[in-house]
Amino acid sequence: MKVLTRAGFAGLFICAAALFAACSETNSTTDTTVVVDTTVSEVAYPVTAGGVTLETQPMRIVSLSPTHTEMLYAIGAGDQVVAVDEYSNFPAEAVALGTKLSGYEPNVESIAGYEPDLVVISYDPGNLVEQLNSLDIPVYIGNGASSFEQAYEQIEQLGALTGHLDVAVQLTSQMQADIDAAVAASSVSATAMGESITYFYELDNTYYTVTSNTFVGQIFELFGLKNIADGVEEGNDYPQLSSEVIVSSNPTMIFLADTKCCAQTPETVSVRDGWQKMDAVVNKNIVQLDDDIASRWGPRVVELVKSISDALALVAAGK
Amino acid sequence: MLRANDNFAPRAETRVAYLSLVSFALLTIAVLIGTMIGPAGPQWWRVPIELVDRLPLITVDSGVSPEEWNIIWQIRMPRVVLAVLVGAMLSVAGASYQGVFRNPLVDPYLLGVAAGAGLGATLVFTLRRSATENWFIDPLPLAAFVGGLVAVFATYMIGNTFSKARSSATLVLAGIAVTSLTTAIQTFVLQRNNDVVRQVYSWILGRLSSATWGDVRLILPYVVFSCGVLLMHRRLLDVLRVGDDEATALGMNIRRVRLTVVLAATLGTAAAVAVSGLIGFVGIIVPHTVRLIVGSSYRRVLPLSILCGAIFLVLADIPSRILADPAETPIGVVTAFFGAPFFLLLLRVRKNQA
Amino acid sequence: MSTLGFCDLSIAYNGVIAVNGFNDILHSGEWLCLIGPNGAGKSSVLRAAAGLVAYSGSVAIDQQEIPATSAKWRAKHIAFVPQTPLMPENMSVYEYVLLGRNPYIKHFASESTHDKQVIDKVLMRLDLAQFAKRMVGTLSGGERQRIVIARALAQEAPVLLLDEPTAALDIGHQQQALELVDDLRREQGLTVVSAMHDLTLAGLYADRLVLMHQGSCVASGDAQTVLRSETLAEFYGVSARVHHEADGTVVVIPQRAISN
Repeated sequence: MKVLTRAGFAGLFICAAALFAACSETNSTTDTTVVVDTTVSEVAYPVTAGGVTLETQPMRIVSLSPTHTEMLYAIGAGDQVVAVDEYSNFPAEAVALGTKLSGYEPNVESIAGYEPDLVVISYDPGNLVEQLNSLDIPVYIGNGASSFEQAYEQIEQLGALTGHLDVAVQLTSQMQADIDAAVAASSVSATAMGESITYFYELDNTYYTVTSNTFVGQIFELFGLKNIADGVEEGNDYPQLSSEVIVSSNPTMIFLADTKCCAQTPETVSVRDGWQKMDAVVNKNIVQLDDDIASRWGPRVVELVKSISDALALVAAGK
Repeated sequence: MLRANDNFAPRAETRVAYLSLVSFALLTIAVLIGTMIGPAGPQWWRVPIELVDRLPLITVDSGVSPEEWNIIWQIRMPRVVLAVLVGAMLSVAGASYQGVFRNPLVDPYLLGVAAGAGLGATLVFTLRRSATENWFIDPLPLAAFVGGLVAVFATYMIGNTFSKARSSATLVLAGIAVTSLTTAIQTFVLQRNNDVVRQVYSWILGRLSSATWGDVRLILPYVVFSCGVLLMHRRLLDVLRVGDDEATALGMNIRRVRLTVVLAATLGTAAAVAVSGLIGFVGIIVPHTVRLIVGSSYRRVLPLSILCGAIFLVLADIPSRILADPAETPIGVVTAFFGAPFFLLLLRVRKNQA
Repeated sequence: MSTLGFCDLSIAYNGVIAVNGFNDILHSGEWLCLIGPNGAGKSSVLRAAAGLVAYSGSVAIDQQEIPATSAKWRAKHIAFVPQTPLMPENMSVYEYVLLGRNPYIKHFASESTHDKQVIDKVLMRLDLAQFAKRMVGTLSGGERQRIVIARALAQEAPVLLLDEPTAALDIGHQQQALELVDDLRREQGLTVVSAMHDLTLAGLYADRLVLMHQGSCVASGDAQTVLRSETLAEFYGVSARVHHEADGTVVVIPQRAISN
């Protein structure tokens, strides 16, 4: 299945790239958003990507996955989206749709009520694909990416399906370039310090964390950072650490991914029992991340990488 | 003046038949209402017209488009039919358990079928991440079904090992132990895999929203078989009402009756739970309501529980799909929402009677 | 009309011997009353015959040993009235008496016309016809005792076992119940075994008494033979006078300790 898909869209990629290489513009900016050309391209239908075959360009897309909502808007398919789920809070155009479908407890009738010609989900809570297929509604499933390659692949598959493959390909190359640049810029400073930096990544205020095997964990690995949760609990990539373990590991940096859900800030962290003497607290190396950006594998992952890179720069400067 | 050949038998059989007929009519109405109401699809008054149109030899124009009909037939109807099957099964299983254990407060999950099914589902959700998605048969209902049966089997084995006596109390205690152990294992597994917590929680709350015709076909034979066996035992459950000792002295093999009833009820419950998760309260509310109306004899309670359970769940599914439109309210929440006030009402009625 | 025989009946609970080789033969229509202090084994003998406890030895009806496997056969031949019957509150009297027909109704079937006729007959005989539709929970103690006996009668068994039939009744109802059993015994030729605490009543109604002590039979015979003050003192530890009425009734009168 996957081989065919890769062959399929690799072919399209080559055609599209060859056709539009000369005409497309790329903008690189110094701010954190990635801006790409959003002209609709002339891609031939029917198209098959990601296990879905579409006969015509989809103009009524329903997205039940916040990550894929971001992807759709970033590749220029925003006008084709008619409904999103309640957690799709970016970009503003998606929120402006005013729809609040549920990706976790989907009401198939409500979804069908929008007469979609493509539904995008990130996980099937049970029979959802089967039910939508029985109504002849195609469903694209983009499971949580565990690597950058998978994230890029999903963006490009959506690009092929929505008729914006060239834009999608541009986007992924831009993302790749930006990430490489950010990593290169700070790896210099990381290694220049001559010691490995350890970090604690906080998912919520009961100290659930991630290991390096996860998508977000791999981002930190790019910078050569060491995760204090690695090896703590074999086989569990989302372990819950105890306060003592965290304090005794004394990580150099603390990343807070619970700023929105659980209102955690450097101030609230510094008043936790036993945490006051930690290096990260004393040196104020506590980084606040946006929950949503940190949990999605869409275009804004570049912002995440840049936040980490900036934070590392401060650490290096501080030393 | 009473004569020797007067017949004092209460008109039990005719009353059951009459009430069953009434209930069946109510069920048909409930199914119709269930098919008419939903967040999308055709306008509600067009649905019955379209249904009439679908009857052979009758043609009526209802103004329902093929897409709208598709929604009714593919999405809404399986849901309503599943509600009938699951509601009937949980009710009659609850009533049967109440008969076997002589306790009006037991529900069909007493011996561990819920905990076992939950553990089976949890394991599938946890392992699914590494295994292939496209299996030939959906592993989730299978694992839940098997899990439920294994748990009850374990309960029976433990209960029988520790007590050769005929007492049912040991069985209940064994059920509590098995439930606790299974739930503990499930919690431990979830703790180590908390990226699936949300899915498991959602499954546990119970839902009819993911119903497909495949689900209906899957559980239909189990439900029909189970209800059939339980109905056959209704007179015997009445004999059990005088206690284990007296029932034995009256010539009944109570161990065999208990085993058969528990087995049949568990089989059907496990099937129902496998496709709809853990829907609570139905197994207790409906038999009790039926008792308030027709008395405590199982010869009336069992058949009417089947019908009334179906009616209840079909009607409960309606708010489930329109209350939080465009999301779903888990049906377990709706039944509990009705269940709690019902218990209070029941206590009140009992208090006034006493 | 059936004879009832106990041969070497022994019962042990968790290794503790409750009945040790009980032997007795009742001829058809006889009323035997088991007496003895608490724990003597009286109830155990009855419960064994009713198939409620495991026993070694045998219980035979008309010289035919009761098969251990067929509860239905046993229920057709032995009717057991327990000491504290479980009375389901919301069961009608008719349904309660119907339970007595259980051994005759096929497993998954309903009662037949014949079964209904038997019940009607029993209800008439015990003057319970007007209670047929009443709920068991609304009856008085005496009425409940009658319906338990009615249920036992519905079993149409030749042997009737009564475990403390008068324990919960007032003196008037005690007499009613025992008179009723006696009448039925004569009418239908029932063989009756009862376990009783009240010695005077036991002597008044039973043909024969068996005094049990610690699982064994220590005295057997009619009331005059068994109810002697020295026997009672030895096995009950009671200080009692035994008085013989002119018509032969034996009355046991406990004596107060002489207060100085």
